[in-house]
Amino acid sequence: MSEAPSGQNIEGETPSAEPVVETDEATVTENAELERTLGLSGGLAIGIGTMIGAGIFVFPGLAAGRAGPAAALSFTIGAVIALLVALPTSELATAMPKSGGGYYFISRGLGALAGSVVGLSLWLGLVFATAFYLVGFGYYAVDALGFLGVAVGESLVIPIALLFGAGFTLLNVTGTENAAKLQNGIVALLLSILVVFLGFGILDAVGLVGEPTTPERFAPYGTFPILTTAALVFTSYLGFAQVATVAGEMKDPGRNLPLAMVGSVVIVGVLYVVTIFVATSAVGSNALSLAGETAMVDVGRELLGPAGGFAIILGGLLATMSSANASILSTSRAVYAVSKDALLPGRASRINLKYGTPHVALGMAGGPILLLTATGRVEVLAEVASFLHLVAYGLICVALLALRRDEPEWYDPDFRVPGYPVVPIVGGVASFALILFMQPLSQVLGFLIMLGSAGWYFYYARDVKLKGAL
Amino acid sequence: MTRVLMPLAVLEGESVAYGLMDLLGTMDVTVLGCHVLPEQTPADQAREQYEERAVSGLEDTAEEFRKAGGAADYRLVFTHDRQQSVERVADEVDARAYAINGATGDVERLLVPLSGDVAVDRILEFVTELVGDRDIAITLFLASESDDADDLLQRSAQRLRDDGIDVTTERVVSDRPFETLIEAVPNHDAVVVGEAAPSLSQFLLGDESERLAAASVGPVLVVRRETAGDGAEE
Repeated sequence: MSEAPSGQNIEGETPSAEPVVETDEATVTENAELERTLGLSGGLAIGIGTMIGAGIFVFPGLAAGRAGPAAALSFTIGAVIALLVALPTSELATAMPKSGGGYYFISRGLGALAGSVVGLSLWLGLVFATAFYLVGFGYYAVDALGFLGVAVGESLVIPIALLFGAGFTLLNVTGTENAAKLQNGIVALLLSILVVFLGFGILDAVGLVGEPTTPERFAPYGTFPILTTAALVFTSYLGFAQVATVAGEMKDPGRNLPLAMVGSVVIVGVLYVVTIFVATSAVGSNALSLAGETAMVDVGRELLGPAGGFAIILGGLLATMSSANASILSTSRAVYAVSKDALLPGRASRINLKYGTPHVALGMAGGPILLLTATGRVEVLAEVASFLHLVAYGLICVALLALRRDEPEWYDPDFRVPGYPVVPIVGGVASFALILFMQPLSQVLGFLIMLGSAGWYFYYARDVKLKGAL
Repeated sequence: MTRVLMPLAVLEGESVAYGLMDLLGTMDVTVLGCHVLPEQTPADQAREQYEERAVSGLEDTAEEFRKAGGAADYRLVFTHDRQQSVERVADEVDARAYAINGATGDVERLLVPLSGDVAVDRILEFVTELVGDRDIAITLFLASESDDADDLLQRSAQRLRDDGIDVTTERVVSDRPFETLIEAVPNHDAVVVGEAAPSLSQFLLGDESERLAAASVGPVLVVRRETAGDGAEE
């Protein structure tokens, strides 16, 4: 067994930890057992459900406008980077199958300072991501109203997004029963809509059905925009790490965690690339770009008529909703993981007596989410979210390298990264490199948040020691 | 001794009825403090806040069971899926049956339905041990349209009588075994049933023993189906 975490924060709270035994079915502490209740399908649903909303339903228009049909390449770059990080994350998650995800691995592998920066920036990164999903949802809601004959215009996007953001937070506080089953159902429905739609789109694109379209140049704006677009759309791949935040609840984590993380990245990656291919083939990247956030509705209409447009609107509503909801939950778990280690006040992880839900943590998710949603800056929200996650991803790779070099006695992962050390090194470098291709405003915001997180650590919890403390 | 699992929502203030505690006096009991959480709440987070209170409640309950007769211990589980946790712990402590709590005073008469696809031998064995040398009468109940039913009922009654138990039998010809069973519950203080194989109706309507417990108000003891581990130790 390793040493326990030590030290205390400015309020005199100490990291709470007690020795546990992990089995495939439960985490056993001295007096209690914590049941593992999520299976592989539940893990995949979290990963896919979080990711699919952005990449397919919000980004195609924005991405095609920047990179042309080569946006498909941007999504491929994102998928490869995500995969290179998902593999090291899987190894760490099977070695430490605890809730908290990336934060936990980094704080144990690299220490409390890196842990605080990542823990707090992951919390805020998720807040940015959720705000981004909500704004996307707002666009689809306005389109849906338009489809029903209520033309309200884009001025209602933000109010609708705010309304639903507040609604989801409230729903989570008061306890939604069977939310996970609902989430699984939504993901299954989405996947079926997409498979039908993309199947038809591929036939159309290769010219077997529908009107012939004139091919356009693959990369009309050159190669640099492909990379900046990759940085923008990386938000579409943030969900796999959310699987790691529920690592403590996965059954048979040694098998299910790697499968759920790698599997969800591969599935959504393929779907994204095919979607861009189909979308740019069907209506061309110029038309896509003009239609903005809900460009996919035009693609649906073009391929399958009004019914196709309706299916995409429905899919977009469900997908952005499930992404937003899943991210609110992940955010509250991120807050809990950090406050458990005394890096935030312990109050943050209190559970509501009436509903049995972590209302403070949910509030610390919902409040800032609404604030950011109000800005309505889709691209900046997405990029800052990616920025903060990419820093964490890069550090996850570094943490893996550090742990493998020392191989402490407790380090015994069920899954080991193939191609070590190349995979984590390339994954880490690529994660940090992608940040360089973002717009300056996003970089400045992301950097300030990290700086603020580090400042918070030195002010609040300088004495807390977490390195190597399981 | 045979072990019975007693799941208990200890944090919601649930306590075991006096009569049930007494009835289980011939058994070893594992009290399972089971706290079901909404999905938003990580199990560990709930543990930090509630563990102490739950453990003190469980210690008290286990102590009461010890006073009532058998050996008793407790486990505490925080879970999002009650059924999964009950099954797992029942397997781990090798429990022969699990109890569904319900209000009752002194138990004088048990209802033991043998309807449906249940392991009659296991049920009778369990009932014999549960009654022991106490003055508890049994009603064997069978709702069936099959001709073999009377035969099964008489053979089973004889087996219990051989062990000195006071048995009455009740045979109903019906294609609605569950409803007729509910009608038979009054005049009995508790029910011992066999765990049915998973079925479509169980999926649609919920577990039959849970529905029985809800409809009868009193406690229900569910004799578990044979599990892989059983053969080895006997």
